[in-house]
Amino acid sequence: MLVLSRRVGESIVIGDDVVITVLDVRGDVVRVGVDAPRSVQVRRQELLVELAETNRAAASPEPSAVAGLSALVSGADRGRRTPAPGPRPPVPRPQAPRRPADPPAGG
Amino acid sequence: MEPAPTQAQHPVHEPVDVPVDVPVLEMVQPMVGFPDRRRFALERLDDTGLVCDLRSLDDPELRFVVVAPGPFFPDYSPEVDDAVVAELGVESEDDLLALLVVTLGETADAATANLLAPVLVNHRTRRAGQYLLDDTDLPMRAPLSPA
Repeated sequence: MLVLSRRVGESIVIGDDVVITVLDVRGDVVRVGVDAPRSVQVRRQELLVELAETNRAAASPEPSAVAGLSALVSGADRGRRTPAPGPRPPVPRPQAPRRPADPPAGG
Repeated sequence: MEPAPTQAQHPVHEPVDVPVDVPVLEMVQPMVGFPDRRRFALERLDDTGLVCDLRSLDDPELRFVVVAPGPFFPDYSPEVDDAVVAELGVESEDDLLALLVVTLGETADAATANLLAPVLVNHRTRRAGQYLLDDTDLPMRAPLSPA
């Protein structure tokens, strides 16, 4: 691992197109801004780890459990009192940030 | 101060069921943890079209069970950004399906669905991917059975 020290406001450039900027530090939470091309996904590592684990747990289930699921789904579908909502036209949200804002207690 | 917005968000039309079997899906974003599995078949597992099999065409042992969100999570309406729309070749909201990967134990009673990282499918272009959504409050293992 390459280890660098940065002050608030300083940045790191990864490759040619990815820029990481330290925005501020509040206690033990560091807020980091990421500038990257749209084609580059930027994701929290712990979520990727948890997602890989969940996918592995989901992969290749027991056939008997799958059969039970079909029964569960039919029951849930019959139990729906109102039909599923119809299509919603895309609503541009110009104020929505590309990346989610961290909650005040820390991302 | 939050950074200036750069992209619009698009709600995904919530389908009632999978309209048609898709012989071959090209995963432009692979299932996380299975990076080299890019070709999958999507087939209904029952008559309702609500439970489907996402089966790897490169590894006969690998399959996922996926469900349409509607029966269990009627308010689920994930927003996807322009990059995803472009990557999947989406031209209209009718192109997109969201399918939830189900984690099953020995029985279906404890089955959970992954709302945070759905498989998004453009059934017109047959491109698909598993995408982590921005709303980190969504669970990866939401129970399908009440209580």
